[in-house]
Amino acid sequence: MKTRLFGTYFNQSRTRPLPVLIALALGLAGVASVGAQQHVSKRYPAGKNVRLQLKNIQGTIIVESWERDEIKVAATMESPSAHFSPIQLKDGLSIDVMGDNRGRGDVGDVNFKIQVPVNTSVDVETRRGDIHVSNIRGGSVRARVSSEGDIDLTGISASQVIASNTTGNIFFDGEFARGGNYEFNSGKGNINIRIPGESAFRLVAATQSKRIELGHFWNKSFVSLGGGRKYVGDVGDGRASVTVTNLSGSISFIRR
Amino acid sequence: MNCERCQELISDFVDGALSPEDSAILNLHFEECLDCADVRNDLESVVSFCRGNRGQYDAVPNERALWLRIRNTLEATGSAAGSIDSVPERRGGFLSRLLNRSWQLSLPQLAGSVTAIALIVSLTTVVGLRRMESPKPPMPESVGFNPDRMSSQQQTISYWNTRIATNKERWSPQMRDTFDRNLNVIDQAVNDSLQELNKNPHDEVSEEMLNAALNEKIALLKEFSEL
Repeated sequence: MKTRLFGTYFNQSRTRPLPVLIALALGLAGVASVGAQQHVSKRYPAGKNVRLQLKNIQGTIIVESWERDEIKVAATMESPSAHFSPIQLKDGLSIDVMGDNRGRGDVGDVNFKIQVPVNTSVDVETRRGDIHVSNIRGGSVRARVSSEGDIDLTGISASQVIASNTTGNIFFDGEFARGGNYEFNSGKGNINIRIPGESAFRLVAATQSKRIELGHFWNKSFVSLGGGRKYVGDVGDGRASVTVTNLSGSISFIRR
Repeated sequence: MNCERCQELISDFVDGALSPEDSAILNLHFEECLDCADVRNDLESVVSFCRGNRGQYDAVPNERALWLRIRNTLEATGSAAGSIDSVPERRGGFLSRLLNRSWQLSLPQLAGSVTAIALIVSLTTVVGLRRMESPKPPMPESVGFNPDRMSSQQQTISYWNTRIATNKERWSPQMRDTFDRNLNVIDQAVNDSLQELNKNPHDEVSEEMLNAALNEKIALLKEFSEL
């Protein structure tokens, strides 16, 4: 009986050996992959006006606001050898993946999702990977991708914003505060800035590609230099300072 | 005794109002300084004439010659400033003459001086404040292509390139590819700007873009050298 049962099983397996082996291999690979990835999640108490600093090597960074007076850091690490130790500051949190993994070789992607109080100053950078920051009303937002990666800053109302990358698009959707400073720099990518129609700022925009679209914000005060490669002018009372430099991509202003 | 002090006292000397000691000192100075002695003689002539002709204001004999002599004497004392006692003062020049000068002002002169000083200070303050408040005109960032500045940036780039070369082998192949791709993007922008500058060395936009590209290259090298 037993023999027959085993024999039956064996016979059935022999009838379709390839799909069974593939399914087995994929299953094992999935288990191995899940086992290699680390997921970390931790919460830190914070006040209402805090500062977040993050220095990553590679991977996606998502920073968004939430209602609570605390910072929640959730990270997925591709390599088991990667680790990081957030440092609680007097006024916020600092994470230095670069420093914490120095000498460990390639630690792969470390993907972050960080939730912060709405009035947080955000300073995040990575050597490679996308950065998304949304719904922040802090003093400043700085997002830096050294090489490739898109930067999306949406729902931002801060007096200082700096976004820069080498390859990738930059999208800013927010408001320019009176007297604020805003800098957007890319090497090769499109820079799109979406702001309310009544925004007031002084603009210096330059790109070698000559693709500068001011749309609703164009007025006669603008001076075109270098055959359309640079525009300088005031929109409204020009109290905010906006500098946009793109080495080879386009620059567009869109009315919200 | 110097000439200036002598001339301050000379009027009292002629009137006989000085003490015997001061008169003796002054006489001693007249023996040494012929210019001051001439001034004394002229003043004595004027005073004696006025005393002799009190109430009659006829012209003095040879009036023009007298005024010329007075003027010449004043000019001579002004430049020579005495022969013996005034040597240190001459070395001091304008400042010492200013300090040795007698600053006796009448009440209206004093009030006028204070008003003038207050007016000058107010005007200076107003002009200074306006300059601070008014936005400065935008300065041109560059006047023509500056190879020296580019040379300085190239030196910095060489330094970071050396650092990168030693670290690059530790990176993953993926990271090396990413770095090389992005370095090429920046190098392309540098070359494009240089080509434009070769066509037009005074193209300020191209120089700005070149500067931005070189700074971006330095930032990329520096940030990747930390890996």
